[in-house]
Amino acid sequence: MKALWLQLEEAMRNFWRGVRQWSGDSAYETYLTCAQRQLGQKPMSATEFYVEQLNRKYSRPNRCC
Amino acid sequence: MKRLLQILIWTAVAALGAVALGTIAFHRGEPINATWFVLAAVCFYLVAYRVYSAFIAAKLLALDNTRATPAERRDDGRDFVPTNKWVLFGHHFAAIAGPGPLVGPTLAAQFGYLPGTLWLIAGAAFAGCVQDFVILFCSIRRDGKTLGEMARDEVSKRGGLIAQLAVLTIMIILLAVVALVVVNALKSSPWATFTLAMTIPIALLLGVYLRYFRPGRVLEASFIGVALVLFVVVAGQWVADSPYLAKVFTLGGVTLAFAIIAYGFAASALPVWLLLAPRDYLSAFIKAGAIFSLAAGILLVRPQVLMPPLTRFVDGSGPVFAGKIFPFCFITIACGAISGFHSLISSGTTPKMIQREGHARFIGYGAMLLESFVGVMAMVAACAMTPGVYFAINSPASIVGATPEAAAATISSWGYPLSAGTMTGLAHAVGEQTLLNRAGGAPSLAVGMAQIFSSTIGGERLLSIWYHFAIMFEALFILTVLDAGTRVGRFMIQELGGRVWKPMGRMNWMPGILLSSALIVGAWGYFLYQGVVDPLGGINSLWPLFGISNQLLAAVALVVATTILLKMGRLKWIWVTLLPMAWLVVITMTASYQKIFSANVRIGFLSQANSLAAQIAAGKIAAAKIADTQRNIFNLRLDAAVTAVLAAMILVLLVEALAQWYAILSRDKEPVLQETPYVATQWAEGD
Repeated sequence: MKALWLQLEEAMRNFWRGVRQWSGDSAYETYLTCAQRQLGQKPMSATEFYVEQLNRKYSRPNRCC
Repeated sequence: MKRLLQILIWTAVAALGAVALGTIAFHRGEPINATWFVLAAVCFYLVAYRVYSAFIAAKLLALDNTRATPAERRDDGRDFVPTNKWVLFGHHFAAIAGPGPLVGPTLAAQFGYLPGTLWLIAGAAFAGCVQDFVILFCSIRRDGKTLGEMARDEVSKRGGLIAQLAVLTIMIILLAVVALVVVNALKSSPWATFTLAMTIPIALLLGVYLRYFRPGRVLEASFIGVALVLFVVVAGQWVADSPYLAKVFTLGGVTLAFAIIAYGFAASALPVWLLLAPRDYLSAFIKAGAIFSLAAGILLVRPQVLMPPLTRFVDGSGPVFAGKIFPFCFITIACGAISGFHSLISSGTTPKMIQREGHARFIGYGAMLLESFVGVMAMVAACAMTPGVYFAINSPASIVGATPEAAAATISSWGYPLSAGTMTGLAHAVGEQTLLNRAGGAPSLAVGMAQIFSSTIGGERLLSIWYHFAIMFEALFILTVLDAGTRVGRFMIQELGGRVWKPMGRMNWMPGILLSSALIVGAWGYFLYQGVVDPLGGINSLWPLFGISNQLLAAVALVVATTILLKMGRLKWIWVTLLPMAWLVVITMTASYQKIFSANVRIGFLSQANSLAAQIAAGKIAAAKIADTQRNIFNLRLDAAVTAVLAAMILVLLVEALAQWYAILSRDKEPVLQETPYVATQWAEGD
């Protein structure tokens, strides 16, 4: 029973992580992890990253008919 | 043993699908239950995915999971982000699924449920999914290059320019036609107009919240936004009941068209975080929720499909749009079966985020199957209402008459019984003054959806809320396509303009932004206005033009894909992309020819223009209407010219490609493939 509960908890956690990734909610965290790997560059602030990311995203076709 | 069990299961799925398809194809007389549609579609998709996509992945493309994808090699946390395959599937699906698979099948329901349903299912499996999958693969192998760049590198420089022009043209026609769908859904409807208007301040509020208070906290902002949007759907009822407010929000077609044009300009020129992005977040959540609810509603209610399999309008005399099944059913349903626009997404964001080449099958082929399923559900929702009601909502006043009595008499005379009281009662039940003459697909789909939803929750009492929820959902994500498309169009014009005059190419130069925004909005706004004042209802001329341009882009994508595959030496399996490409060329050429030259004035742009000119010459047009008629004549000739240009573009590209193919096959020149070199993945198997 406990194992089943743990499995369910794990599945819910994965689902929530997926929803955050899908919606872009965790995009800044992903960026920071990546920026930490690339030494020598000062990472952007959350606001800078948010605006920069939107400007890039909406400059190419990203919503279809 | 396991293998035997698998064979047995797949044989059972295939047999069930065949029985369901046979039932919907050969059923006559009594209404048929919608469950057969769901069964037929789902079983067909499962078998197509299991067999055909596996064959393409293994034989045609030879997907290689040991090869590092662009997301692995160039991981930068911004553009190139390795993403879980389920998350990326959701991402890709949200990007490809727009209003097209809802509106197209609804319009094509005038032929009956059968032609559209078969085309949706088979077209997706053998053409649409193939295009999305193969282009995604080609772009992954080229560091996420766009379709235009691949056309330039692999076909010819001219091919690249044609692809770029085709994208701009399709964008203009697409934006005009979807804006027309919104206008037809909102006109004379204070409830729907208020609800949609309120989404603008809600989006602005979210924009400021996400920019200044909680940067990037998309989920919490979206929950607040969705709650506010649902509130304004309900509040719209109070506006419609208030004599003063109802008057303010009751707008005619032309006023609405100008309001949408002004909105498009603002969304293109304002900072993206303020209006465009927050609206897109709202739209994504509501879209996912509404599509899921529609599927659940159909499965729970299992409505009867009242539309016959084939109607009398297969002869081309349909009131919604004119033209026979071939080619017009295949032009009307573009998205849902095959949509060229998808190739821009498959060669845009998705290839830069994919973790493994092997995922391309699930994401490219699988997401398109799901979009096709959305199309089948839209077909079911449209066909679940009485055929008489369907024709009353979707036919222009010039064909069925402007009053309920006239419409009921005309439609009943076609053999689809309808009483004037039914239309008045239905309009009252959904909280509208009238439901007549609302060509465009959105209102009839909303009625269908509202009937399905209200059979699940709320009954008759909530019909009006469900109707306006459905209208809001369609209009909201149509406007998202509109503002995102206008902005992309603006960038294209700036980029093209920058080649002629340098400052235009500077993306943050304000005069350049304003000028290019005005140009793109002016272009689609012109076609929108023309559609709004068109006596035949606008959809009759604009939707086929949109279908032709979208299928043309699909043909461009398949030409590029075929060229690349030939260069890769996959001649043996080339029919996989060659046959759908040939089919698209045949339908776009036939439809273009008929739209330009048909002697039937409801189909041929030129014959209608000539007929109107002859009426002016014969003095049959009242003096007050001569200016309007002359403008109408000009517009018809312009539509003919646009269609001719579209047809010419695909012919030129085809000639370029044929020359390339000949050179490759006759070994005149060594094929040069512009693939990024092989790099082995550093990730362990199963990552």
